[in-house]
Order: sequence, then C-alpha cells, then structure tokens
Amino acid sequence: MLLYAGRRLTYGLLVLALVATLVFLIIRLIPGDVVRLQLADAPGVTQAQIDQRTTELGLDEPVLIQFGHFVGGLVQGDLGTSFDDGRPVTTKILERLPATLELGLLAILFGVLFGVPFGLISAIRHHSLIDNVMRFLAVIGMSLPNFWLALLLITFLALWFGWSPPLVYASPTENLSQNLIHMLLPAIALGAATMASIARMLRSSLLEVLGSNFIRTIRSRGASERVVVLKHAGRSSMIPVFTVLGLQVGSILGGTVILERIFAIPGMGSLIFEAVGQRDYPVILGCVIFYGAIFIFVNVVVDLLYAVIDPRIRYEGASA
Amino acid sequence: MSIAISGAARAARHPKARGGLVRFATEQPLGAVALFLITLFVVVAVLAPWIAPYDPLAQDRVNLLTPPGVGGHPAGTDELGRDVLSRSLYGARTSLLIAVSTLALGGVIGLIVGVVSGYFGGTWIDSVLQRIMDALMAIPSIVLLLFVAALLGPSVRNTVIALSLLVIPSINRVARGEMLRIREEPYVEAARSVGCSTPRILLRYGLPNLMAPLFVMGSLLFAVILIAESALSFLGIGTPPPTPSWGRMLSEGRSQLEIAPWMTVVPGLILSVSVLAFNLLGDAMRDFLDPKQRR
Repeated sequence: MLLYAGRRLTYGLLVLALVATLVFLIIRLIPGDVVRLQLADAPGVTQAQIDQRTTELGLDEPVLIQFGHFVGGLVQGDLGTSFDDGRPVTTKILERLPATLELGLLAILFGVLFGVPFGLISAIRHHSLIDNVMRFLAVIGMSLPNFWLALLLITFLALWFGWSPPLVYASPTENLSQNLIHMLLPAIALGAATMASIARMLRSSLLEVLGSNFIRTIRSRGASERVVVLKHAGRSSMIPVFTVLGLQVGSILGGTVILERIFAIPGMGSLIFEAVGQRDYPVILGCVIFYGAIFIFVNVVVDLLYAVIDPRIRYEGASA
Repeated sequence: MSIAISGAARAARHPKARGGLVRFATEQPLGAVALFLITLFVVVAVLAPWIAPYDPLAQDRVNLLTPPGVGGHPAGTDELGRDVLSRSLYGARTSLLIAVSTLALGGVIGLIVGVVSGYFGGTWIDSVLQRIMDALMAIPSIVLLLFVAALLGPSVRNTVIALSLLVIPSINRVARGEMLRIREEPYVEAARSVGCSTPRILLRYGLPNLMAPLFVMGSLLFAVILIAESALSFLGIGTPPPTPSWGRMLSEGRSQLEIAPWMTVVPGLILSVSVLAFNLLGDAMRDFLDPKQRR
C-alpha cells in the first residue's frame, strides 16, 4: 500500500512539474514580451524604462537560465514577487487559498449529501416515475451553467422572499455564521452539477452491481433488500462515484473562480482574476500552478481511496 | 476535419444510415428531442439576421429596461433599450461560430495526438504525448482559459484558441483508447502485412473506425464549450463588445437582477436549453451505440 501511495505521489509530482513547465513555456511563447504587455497601457513609456524593467525581472537572460531560476524558486516554494505590490506570490496565494478551499469543499459536501441518496433511490426504484423524474432533473442539473444558477438563486430569493446574501465577506474565524450564510448560495450553485453527476453515476453503477451474480447469491441466502443495497452492493458501486468526484474537482475549482467573482469572495479565483486585469504575470503563473497542484493532489487521494476500497487495485499495480 | 466531413457525408448518403436515423429516433426519444432542439439552435443561429425582430445593437431610447411584452419587445429590453430577444438570437450565432471552430481546431489536434499515441501505445511517443495531456487536464478549465485569454487578449479568435485547449485532451483520450483497441484488430494486422505505410493505416483503417465514440464526445464537448464560452464572456475576457454573446448578456443583467430579471433569465434559459440538448444527444448516442445498453 505504501509503495503504491509512493508511486502515485511521484507520478503526481511529475505531472505538476510538467504543468509548471507548460505554463512557463506558454508565457515565453506568446508573441510580444511580458514587459511590453504589462506597460502597454501606461502612457509615455520610454525604451529605457522598458529595458530597465526587463533587466529587473531578469528577462534579458537566456530562456534556459530563466527557466533554471524559475524551477529553482519553485522547489523552494518561491514563485517570485507580484508585479502589483511586490509581495511574494506564495504569500498572496496562501492568504486567498482558505476561502477557495472552503467553497469547494462545501460544494462537494452539498453534492455528496444530496447526490448519494438521490442515486440510491433512483437505482432501487429504477424505471419508476420517481426514477425518471430524478434522471431528467440530473441531466438538467448538469446542463445549468453554475453562474446562471447562482444569478437565478439571487434574483428569485430577492424577488420572492426579499432575502439577499450578505455583501461583505466575513472570514470563518471572524464570524462563522455570516461566513456560512455567504457561502450557502455559491456552494449550492457549484454543487448542483456534482450532485447530478454523482446521482447519475451511482444509479448506473448500482444497477450494474445489483444485476451481478454475487448479489443474486446474497439475495438467495435471504438477505434483506436494505442489507443487499447498503452493505454489499453499495461498496462496490462507490468506485465510479469516486471517479466522478475526482473529475468533478476540476470543474468545481474552475467554478469557484466565477462564483467568487459573483459573490465577492476573496479567494484564489478573485486573485487570479485581479491579476489578469493587471497583467500581473507572476501571480497568474502562481495561481495556475496552485490550481494544478490542488487538482493533482485530490486525484492522487482519489486513487489511494480506490485502493482502500478495492484491494485488487493495489496488487494489480504492484505486479505491473 | 475534411476527413470527418466526407465520412459523415458518406454515412448520410448511405441508405442504411438513413434507416439508422429513424431507428435512433424510435429507440432514443430524448435523443430525437435533443436533435430537434439542436436543429432549431443552428437554424436560429444561421438565420438570426432575418428572424430577429430588432437590430441587436439598436437602442430604443423610449423603452429602457421594459419588461417582456411592453413596447413591442417580446422579451423586454436592457438598460440601453436593446431588444433582449434579438440579442439572445444573435448570441446563438456567436456561440455556434465559436463552438464549431473550437471543435474543428481542438478536434483535429486532439485526434492526431490520440491516434498517433494509441497506435504507438506503450512506446515513448505515447508516454510523452500523454503526460503533456495529463498536464493540460490538471489545470481547471476556467483557469486555463483565463490564463490563455489574459496572454492573448480578448477576441473571438483567441477565445477559440483558448477553448480548444479544453477539447484537445478529451478528444485525445477517446481517440487513443479506440486506437489501442483498433491496432489489435485483424484488419490492421492484414494492412500491415501487405505493406501499408503507418500514415495510411492510421487514416484509412484507424480514423473511420473510431468516429462513433468521437461523435458522442463531440456532442458532450459542444455543451462544455457553450458553457465555457459564456463563462469567459461573463468574466469579460471572451467575446469583445459589441458582438452579442450570452455570457456578456448575463454579466450585464447581473447589475439589474432585481429590476430587470428578464435580462438574465432569457439568455440564460436559451443557453441552458442548448447545453441540455447537446448533453441529451451525447447520452442518447452513447446508449444507442453501446450494445450493452440495448435490450
């Protein structure tokens, strides 16, 4: 198990290194250089100022050396300093990280809390009216863009109940209840698609397992339907659900960017958005790498969870 | 893409394929509904200049923020007095243009990467290509889009380039998986034994046999692109003004949520129904093509 975990983690780090290389290369490959793009808006910029800024940022050195500096900093957790206020990028990101993680986790929590029971009910009563309604709702849930859902929630809660989410963000340590109220709508808007995907996946995998031979054997021994579904079928049908969760992490992380923007939540999404507006490349680069790191880390954890649920996976991996 | 089009055209001319469409509609009624909605979407997008009641940019100064039905505006007007329905119809045009170009660009690149990777599965070529794809997939789509759009600046062309980065890894995955299966097939072995060159094997025997799952993926990706394009425009880095796009209409409606909810509801509803249609079509095609699902 430990060996398996080690291998997955190494692989994750390799992909992360590739992500860093890729974004570095993309920035270098674009036409026009970073300094010109950054100073393009400022009036009356002289060539001397451009040259000075270029030297300051070390952009006059060969690309390979620049890449060396970049990698050297990266392994020490140093992503450079922000163009905007000169503070270290890592510090800026770490300040914003908790809000994004909280929003993402709440969305996943919402998705699992409602998606799993919906999937179970759908599978147990398959081809009934309630199953058909739920399946249709699930496809709709997957098709509604999360930002539109958020706007609808805001509009109709305001029009019908006269309730609006708080405008000022409060961190959980300051005021937990206000923080949670603030996070409620974005978490629902973001978690709706996750809920729908989980319900769909759980339904189909549970149906497949329920049709298999070992379930027939268990049924023939007189096990109650509840024991069959929850104890025996449930475990093996959870694996595809974890796959969905791993895949959903990407869209949830992406979704936080846009929802943080709508609900004025000071997370990484707001940070990268501000950085894009200011052409603050070190911050943009740092954010992309951080998002990649979170995604890769979660997927490594999901892989390890597979191995915990299904021991065959770790043995298969060990022999390969 | 020309290969894909000629393949599809050949399939359409084939009498068996026509019967297939009828069978598809009877076996997958939801898929038929989806196909109808998509046809409607394409017709609206193409014919927008002729069916829209107003010029999408014309400002009706007398009717600012009027609710649906007032002053001859079926879906109301926005804060500049522009007709919301006309703008939504033109938005379909923008979305269709971007989605089709993205699928073409990303699809071709993804297909090439996937087919080559699958054919050389297990060798270093495969590993290198797939690790790059893994890295692309590790960055959440909106973040990747923000990153690329920020570097290139907002324009329709750059939106297409950014969005195709989402398409490439997904198409690659499907194409590679299919190619890994196809290269073990006897007909590929036969082609190799009579001395066909690798490109010929890939084009002549590989491509035609992996089109079916690609259509499924293409439909689902179309839905993803529609949402992603709107998200980019919503954030203000996608389609630049004044071109009407659903995403920017939603962001304009955001400031008038409680006064003029139709500004948000109408384009969002059309966007969601289009996305729903492509998701349903993808699902229906998958069920239709998967023999395991047939009873």
